[in-house]
Amino acid sequence: MKGRVILSVVFAVVSVSACRNNPGKAGEFVLADSDSLSAFSSSDLMTNEDVIRSFSAPLETANLFQVMGEPFTQEYLASSIDANRLGGSFEKALWLGILGADLGYMNVYGKTGTSMDLLASIKKLAEDLRVGQFFDFETIKRLSLNNSRLDSLLYLSIDSYNKIDKYLREDNRSQLSSLMIIGAWIEAQYFATQVMKTSPDDLLRDRIGEQKLFLADLIKLAEPYCNSDDQFGQLCKDLRDIFSKYETVKITYTQGEPVKSEKDDGLLITQTESSRVEMTDQQLGEIIDIMGMVRNKLISRN
Amino acid sequence: MKKIIAALLILIPAFSITAGQSVSDPLMSKCLSATGPSARYLKDYRVQLGQGTADRDFRYKAKMSLWKNTKYRFTLCTADNSNGVLILTIWDEENKVILSSIDPETGKAYSYVDFICNKSGVYQVGFDFTGGQSGLGVSIVSMIQ
Repeated sequence: MKGRVILSVVFAVVSVSACRNNPGKAGEFVLADSDSLSAFSSSDLMTNEDVIRSFSAPLETANLFQVMGEPFTQEYLASSIDANRLGGSFEKALWLGILGADLGYMNVYGKTGTSMDLLASIKKLAEDLRVGQFFDFETIKRLSLNNSRLDSLLYLSIDSYNKIDKYLREDNRSQLSSLMIIGAWIEAQYFATQVMKTSPDDLLRDRIGEQKLFLADLIKLAEPYCNSDDQFGQLCKDLRDIFSKYETVKITYTQGEPVKSEKDDGLLITQTESSRVEMTDQQLGEIIDIMGMVRNKLISRN
Repeated sequence: MKKIIAALLILIPAFSITAGQSVSDPLMSKCLSATGPSARYLKDYRVQLGQGTADRDFRYKAKMSLWKNTKYRFTLCTADNSNGVLILTIWDEENKVILSSIDPETGKAYSYVDFICNKSGVYQVGFDFTGGQSGLGVSIVSMIQ
């Protein structure tokens, strides 16, 4: 009897942890047929849409701030967004993207323990859009409160957003996934332009100018929905207005061969080829102004 | 007896919390640990390929943007029972090879590649397993400060 009780308790412990760690055993995998893999892997992933559908851009922007020595600033966050207020799926998807960028900014700065309100808002918006099942709120919250394992936290946050994006597209709600991506980009670009205003820096100036490369593809992502309703129409107009400020920004390239060196078990490759942004102070000023205007308009619809 | 059960019951939540803290995919979790303390996760590629031929082009390809003035780390992790080792090559928009995780002369496959990017743009990343063999692997792209 005693043995059975102990066994039952041990079984319960193992079952609980097994449920949490169920997917993707590294040691047991079934290999797909190579023909089907080649069909999947080459053409389907080769569009620039693949590049745009990345939620890592806000992290790269925040990382650049840290390289510059820029301190964390609470004021940049979209704290006026109230996820409990009434709103349609348009606003909710856009805000989900905006708050995702805010979360990335906070995480990179290690402000994980103070991001609980933000996480709760993200959870509420995700649930309202019927994608809450993909946002691993409890694990992200636990890792945030522990203020440790930043890499796992970044992975889980981005993975949750990627799953939401994928599901929305599969569920014929691609317009919402596009809104999320546009929201995240606008917020990251807003951070960059705000920091540029207070702490001008050549690296950041280049990064803002280089967004020209990205913006044209972002507009293509929005285009199929521009005539779907007035809200989307206005957003498309805003994106085109932003792009108009970039039209005369030039990006030039210098050729060079990569330099390779070995270190420990790895390689270090330094690219000598380079890109250079030519952007006047006036162009930069206009980009800063329009980014502030567009982003603040989107969060004030609250 | 009661003490043993009580001790086990106390252990349940502690064990569950510990289990829940980690990333659920063991290979991903292992690879995240391998990126190093100064690396910050950006994205990952999960590659699973069947047996191919050595002379073929890289079978898994995707595009990603890389930004000037950023140091990236591409960490490559291969599951234990894979036949080949996960390898990576990156090309620029003009199809020029920018980096490769395998030395073409010695055949040595490196477990990570650090890349100091000086040209912003869209790059093509290609993954395969050495000799076109079968395998399962994860590559994590991180930023290094």
